[in-house]
Amino acid sequence: MALVSLTDVTKSYPSPEKGGAPIVAVDSVSLEIEAGDVFGIIGYSGAGKSTLVRLINALEPTTSGTIEVGGRTITSMPERELRGIRLEIGMIFQQFNLFNSKTVRANIAYPLQVAGASKAEIATRVDELLDFVGLADKARAFPDQLSGGQKQRVGIARALATSPRLLLADEATSALDPETTQEVLQLLKRVNREFGVTIVIITHEMEVIQSIATKVAVMDGGRVIESGDVFDVFSSPQNPSSARFVSTVVKGVPSPAEVAVLRERHDGRIVTISFRDGGASQSAVFLDLANAGLEFELVYGGINDIQGRAFGHLTLAIRGADAAVDAALAQVGARAEVTEVA
Amino acid sequence: MDRLFELAPEFWVAAAETLYMVALTLLIGGFFGLLLGIVLYTTRPGSLLSNKPVFTIVNVVINFFRPIPFIIFIAAVQPFARYVIGTGIGNDALIFALSIASSFAISRIVEQNLLTVSPGVIEAARSMGAGPIRILRTVVLPEALGPLVLGYTFVLVALVDMTAVAGAIGGGGLGAFALTYGYRQFEPAITWAAVILIVVFVQLAQFFGNWLARKIMRR
Ligand SMILES: Nc1ncnc2c1ncn2[C@@H]1O[C@H](COP(=O)(O)OP(=O)(O)OP(=O)(O)O)[C@@H](O)[C@H]1O
Ligand SMILES: [Mg+2]
Repeated sequence: MALVSLTDVTKSYPSPEKGGAPIVAVDSVSLEIEAGDVFGIIGYSGAGKSTLVRLINALEPTTSGTIEVGGRTITSMPERELRGIRLEIGMIFQQFNLFNSKTVRANIAYPLQVAGASKAEIATRVDELLDFVGLADKARAFPDQLSGGQKQRVGIARALATSPRLLLADEATSALDPETTQEVLQLLKRVNREFGVTIVIITHEMEVIQSIATKVAVMDGGRVIESGDVFDVFSSPQNPSSARFVSTVVKGVPSPAEVAVLRERHDGRIVTISFRDGGASQSAVFLDLANAGLEFELVYGGINDIQGRAFGHLTLAIRGADAAVDAALAQVGARAEVTEVA
Repeated sequence: MDRLFELAPEFWVAAAETLYMVALTLLIGGFFGLLLGIVLYTTRPGSLLSNKPVFTIVNVVINFFRPIPFIIFIAAVQPFARYVIGTGIGNDALIFALSIASSFAISRIVEQNLLTVSPGVIEAARSMGAGPIRILRTVVLPEALGPLVLGYTFVLVALVDMTAVAGAIGGGGLGAFALTYGYRQFEPAITWAAVILIVVFVQLAQFFGNWLARKIMRR
């Protein structure tokens, strides 16, 4: 059974103007998040990602629909009981939201105090967590003495203090530079692998999804417009909006403008060959072309590695007699998808 | 100048009276101001214990009393002072009136400073399962402590100023001393002696407040 399951969840806010239509931030969303997943939610600003994730730990009440976490329906729970549920769900934030008046140690200890842990338990657990995030030497520092990456590591340690099964990350790396982003993402990967914590990670950057997510949902206008395995969504997005996100990290089929540029630089036929994991190997395709005595050059595209599986689009400029090219492409077409672009 | 030396005993008594009035008012007014400010902060719409009726009532009451000039306020609450502390005149009556008036002013300062705590930090505490009272006690107040100390320092300085009108209801302090022996008896040196001591008090208070706030905020 899914760890988190949303059924037809809608969240609307009253209109800012009197009598206006309500703002529907999340619109009839149904999702299943399995235990062990790193579930990415991607979408443009205002798509409703933050609202969705805040419904999962009931920081906001839903307008309609049901949400189950660990088999318990949280959408009808009284606030007092919800506090118990929140102890089992960690959350990290874009702006870190550390307590500036408390030391790193006290920040990490806070959720344990809320949970009613003893002083001795707290001390041991905080030490463990400080080691895990590599900040043992910063225990007595205050948040304003830390770098962004260190702050987020404290945020992660704090969110993990009560050993939750689920970690919600709202734009957890958006305030960090690319290198620090990778550091934090690798740490989250360890959290998922070593502790089996299910992670829901919200982002507007496809790189984040590509680095760590196993599943992804694409949101637009409050709706989930596409969801599935990261590999499937990346290798063949079904929705134009998803395709736009994918194109930010994956060099796919060249756009008409790019084709025009390629045309100017290269003579011969320009052809895109799409590879998918389990399909034809590149060497077989190149052998076909070479055996036909054709001269070819890679002019656009690349191969991507998603969760250890490869896919990509390679655009080639092929020179040779038309009939020979046609024959060779027919042969290649039996192995991989071929698109003639110019 | 000679007159100042003659009046030295009265001068030091007046100084002590000022300190007494300011300290007691800061304690009483500061306490009730803190309570009222916390009520305003927690009951405001969208806050920890949002409660529209309570917020509206407290808000209106404070707005009603705040604009009343202090010298008139003293006269207005005099009957009430007689009833509660048994006298309508003297230093204690002034402390009574000033404690009430300053609680309203302080409540606004407290409210403003609590509002500077980032909503994200409160959301983080909520996401860890903390309840509203715990969040107020362990997150909001500690996070706002530095600015609160500066706010109370500002109040302390204002209180030194306001106790100067104690003479109007038969109270003492440096203000009454300056008016009685300096202004009415044409002795500018006496007035200036009182002024200088008040300035020293204010400077010391401000210096201490700044130091404490800096220590808390570690800047
Ligand atoms: N408390 C609120 N009151 C009214 N409207 C809100 C509230 N919170 C969010 N909204 C609206 O709901 C919509 C979705 O907001 P949300 O913050 O979930 O988007 P997001 O996808 O997280 O965007 P971003 O990438 O900018 O963080 C927006 O139109 C926003 O204005
Ligand atoms: Mg957001």
